[in-house]
Amino acid sequence: MTTTPTPGPASDPTPGSFSGPAPGSVSGPATVTAVDLSLRFGGTRALDGVSLRLGRGVTGLLGPNGAGKTTLLRVLATAVPPDGGRFTALGHDPGTASGRLALRRTLGYLPQNPGFHPDFTAFDFVDYVAILKELTDRAARLREVRRVLDAVDLSDVRGRRLKRLSGGMRQRVALAAALLGEPGFLVLDEPTVGLDPEQRMRFRELIAQAGEGRTVLLSTHQTEDVAMLCHRVIVLAGGRVRFEGTPAELTARAAGRVWSATHRDPSALAGWRTGAGTFRNVGEPPEGADLVEPTLEDGYLLVLDGESAEAAA
Amino acid sequence: MTWHVAEEDLRAYAQGALAPPLLWSADTHLTGCARCRARLAEAADPVALDAAWERLDAELDAPRPSLLERLLVRLGVADHTARLLAATPVLRRSWLLSVLFLLAMTVLAVRLADQPALFLALAPLLPLAGVALSYGPSLDPTYEMAVVAPTHGFRLLMIRTVAVLTAGLAFNGLATLALPGYGLLALAWLLPALAITATGLALTARLGPVVGPSLVGIAWVAVLAVARAQTHPHDTLAPFTTAGQCAAATVAVLAGLLLHRTRDRFDTRPLGGFPADGVG
Repeated sequence: MTTTPTPGPASDPTPGSFSGPAPGSVSGPATVTAVDLSLRFGGTRALDGVSLRLGRGVTGLLGPNGAGKTTLLRVLATAVPPDGGRFTALGHDPGTASGRLALRRTLGYLPQNPGFHPDFTAFDFVDYVAILKELTDRAARLREVRRVLDAVDLSDVRGRRLKRLSGGMRQRVALAAALLGEPGFLVLDEPTVGLDPEQRMRFRELIAQAGEGRTVLLSTHQTEDVAMLCHRVIVLAGGRVRFEGTPAELTARAAGRVWSATHRDPSALAGWRTGAGTFRNVGEPPEGADLVEPTLEDGYLLVLDGESAEAAA
Repeated sequence: MTWHVAEEDLRAYAQGALAPPLLWSADTHLTGCARCRARLAEAADPVALDAAWERLDAELDAPRPSLLERLLVRLGVADHTARLLAATPVLRRSWLLSVLFLLAMTVLAVRLADQPALFLALAPLLPLAGVALSYGPSLDPTYEMAVVAPTHGFRLLMIRTVAVLTAGLAFNGLATLALPGYGLLALAWLLPALAITATGLALTARLGPVVGPSLVGIAWVAVLAVARAQTHPHDTLAPFTTAGQCAAATVAVLAGLLLHRTRDRFDTRPLGGFPADGVG
């Protein structure tokens, strides 16, 4: 794997929003280690020998629909046990009852579709999750609920019913619930889906703050999320890890394989008209092509293309 | 102000020892009564007073608990348990009203047709359905969050089961009172209700919250159909005779034991899978 950083517009973290260790290998000891995880649903192999290592900071999990991202997150969050393989998180082995309980006590999980009791207020809902997280002392619990609602900037609407909140606000309520008890391992499943650009930026700031000193695994469709937030990125496709490295390394996969032209090159893996009116082509460039700086998305496309070619072979 | 916090309660409040609902009353009162706040300041040492103010501050943020929660706390249920119960779908007002309506219609039908078997057949199914719908991915929108929480899934299930069973049995009891002409026979639903509810829960651990209770419900209807076919129209159906009641009690105990043996399954894997199960 090349380590040559190839900065591009999408691979540059937005100043002020980047958090966690500098791009590079997993800094410090790995906090989460998975070896050969597998899981089947009927005849579908959702996870097929997934091995990975996570450290502190935000790690992005990219992959197309059906790649196995949600399944992997559910396994790591102890919602579903794997059929094969094992993992440890923060020193706990969820394969044992005591290890599973210990991990759950230090886990924050934001599912892809966090369900809400519509009649609950934002405060009620977070309070309910706090009770599930064993915060039974009322005074301490109320303080903690207020703390996490403050952290996601929802203090003003804490008494409003969830059904009256916008989608972005509800996602922030769910993030607040995930942050209860200062979890050491935060698992976030596509938290920015369905949010408008302003809400997405707000959410990225929150995730960046949450990533300080914690291990965060962020599943997303948005390469911008990874470029702006993550010091590591994993690409999952067909239930297998296709890439694991830094965003710069993923971007470098596309070095010399992105070119500009006046037309969509039929030999290109992908090509589209840019705002400038020229076509951006990704693939194997023809002789004398006008090469341009690659982005993280280009690298991601090429990794997925490699996976498609492998599947076809 | 027509009342003030009692000296004893004020001291307990300052020490953090006052329990709900008295705690809530004190919180509400202290926010509007300068005199009691001054008394509190005199009654407490500075450290305890800081803690009390902090607690009061946090309490002020908390929305007023729902009617159900307030009722449960008044009945002696811990406030955190009351909150868990308030999130139980089948304890919502709409569900409870539906059950009441169904029971009222059944009682009316029994009175018109003089057929207590109608009520005795339906009554055990209501607690079964209520318990089946109180925990699991199909009706509990926060199920996925609950599964990964450190609170043991079986404990949550039992808390909700006890509440739903209590409500269901109370409703059935009220319906029984509306059928005074049948004597003890009108209570013959109780043991079958416990038996099929416990069996449904025991099967839930293996078959999920839909298939398990559904199979038990179908089996109950099948047993009644067979009993009906083998019994004279004016005789009591076998499940509601003494022998049938003994059998129901035995099934309830055995199912309870099986449920206890399989309790860890509620904690290790999602019952029946998540709604959007797939590769993801």
